[in-house]
Amino acid sequence: MSEYKKAEIIGTPALNGTYVAEMDMWPLEAQEFNRLYPFYDHLREGKFTTTKCRKCGHVAFPPGVICPKCWSEELEWVELPQRARVVTFTETQAGAPIGFESPLIMAWLNFGEKAPLKHLLGRIINCREGQLKEGDEVKFVVFEVPSHPIEVKKETKVCNRVFYAFEPVK
Amino acid sequence: MALKKNAVIVGGGTSKFGIRQAHLLDMIQEAASACSQDIPGLKPDDIDGLIVATTMAGRHSSALNTAPLVVHRLGLKPTSICIRLDTLCAGSNSAIIVAKGLIESGIAEVILVTGAEKVYMPQRWETNYTQLMVNDHDWDSAMGLGVPPPFFAMIAKMHMKRYGTTKEQMAHVSVANYNYGTTNPKGQFSGRTLTLKEAMEARIIADPFGLYDCCPLSDGASAVIIASEEKAKELSDRPLVYLRGTGQHATHSMSAGWPGETLAEWPHLKKAGEVAFKNAQLTPEDIDVAQVHDCFTISEIIELEELGFCQKGEGGDFVASGAIKLDGALPTNTDGGLISVGHPFGASGARQSLELCKQLQGRAINQVKDARFGLAHNLSGTCAQHTVVIYGREPVD
Repeated sequence: MSEYKKAEIIGTPALNGTYVAEMDMWPLEAQEFNRLYPFYDHLREGKFTTTKCRKCGHVAFPPGVICPKCWSEELEWVELPQRARVVTFTETQAGAPIGFESPLIMAWLNFGEKAPLKHLLGRIINCREGQLKEGDEVKFVVFEVPSHPIEVKKETKVCNRVFYAFEPVK
Repeated sequence: MALKKNAVIVGGGTSKFGIRQAHLLDMIQEAASACSQDIPGLKPDDIDGLIVATTMAGRHSSALNTAPLVVHRLGLKPTSICIRLDTLCAGSNSAIIVAKGLIESGIAEVILVTGAEKVYMPQRWETNYTQLMVNDHDWDSAMGLGVPPPFFAMIAKMHMKRYGTTKEQMAHVSVANYNYGTTNPKGQFSGRTLTLKEAMEARIIADPFGLYDCCPLSDGASAVIIASEEKAKELSDRPLVYLRGTGQHATHSMSAGWPGETLAEWPHLKKAGEVAFKNAQLTPEDIDVAQVHDCFTISEIIELEELGFCQKGEGGDFVASGAIKLDGALPTNTDGGLISVGHPFGASGARQSLELCKQLQGRAINQVKDARFGLAHNLSGTCAQHTVVIYGREPVD
């Protein structure tokens, strides 16, 4: 059995206060790193969007750089419905990943048979444990998430970020 | 054009699975040692190809280009193939599919397939956090999808609602797999048994799952030798176990692309199974023993349905009837499965294939009488991909 001396330095001091993208739970949303940056710009405007193919008409989700049906690059941004029904759901009290508060509520959402995006796994926020029921209607909601730095020559620029979830319709 | 060669699984070994006081490369060396004990004729110089299956190596062991590390530690000098491969929970069975093609085409003669994960970290939060990076990070993971129980709990709820599956039926899977695994010396829950009452009364992990409905997180490594028929005869006197057919099918990476009518239907697995059975020139009725991916009890139930071993929706009745036990119609997860042996993602497929190798050679601990054909299945990630490998005592014509 090895003996450990009481440490004076713990962890990785060289990284103290340093942003580590490899450990980031949120997407790199900035134009410098992501061709889908309009999706996040649209979130800031309260819009839930994706890419639609101008050639074959296919609406993909998540959005992309090419159409996954015909590989055309001729895409346009379109809005998606913001309301869905809860098909089934799960509430995690213990063991939610660090960064997500408990209870972490996730629901299998149905946007309707005719919607271009039929179903999605959605996080439900602004909701107490025990409040949600199967069949409930939920709506799209946008919130701020932590920003991150980007080196631009000798300067450091900050990328402000947002993400989306769903909340019960009162 | 040269005639196609036959690929066989010669034997193999695993490290102890569980919460290990060991580095990733330590466990791969343990698995290689167990493999050489299982095939006494095997020397490092016999091996001309290496495929390493691991998901977490890059993050958890700072070992992004893993194959050369394994080459050095095992004293290998591969000349045909030397790669690391990642399909998460199906890693080493995916590697076996690749090895089959390389052997049959004559590119390689003797390939070591090893799968390994070091999952447990100095601080436990990091283990759960890493799981945000193995799903579709920017989309599903940012919604909170990390550890698997919540997702599979929703699958179970849907299956219970649509097909009347019960918690007791799911508990029959835990009981069968724990009781198979009790005699597996390398298993995480080796020596443990389980009663239906214990399974039913366990603390809830994610409704409707109790503790024993879920496989554990595990460290561990496995290693098997895939070789040409001619080389296999030089390495071992045991009966030959042929790779007859394989199938692998994926349709999506995140929830929006889910292919089923609901979460309770897995058409992508049905397809992977159909492809594998066609290639193997067999039907589900031919299979004598199966190792299917029991990450959760509901997974085993749905897999038995979609692979055609029972009717869709009747998986609960099938497992509760005793069909998966040693004297049943389809002994399943006879070494304990993921639920009892543990699940070091990349290592699980080769562990399953090794159990089928032993079953078809007549030397398994829980031996199925006269087993001639065996099937292994893995799902990967949040049920995004399915991998099926079928073995037989005779080659495909």
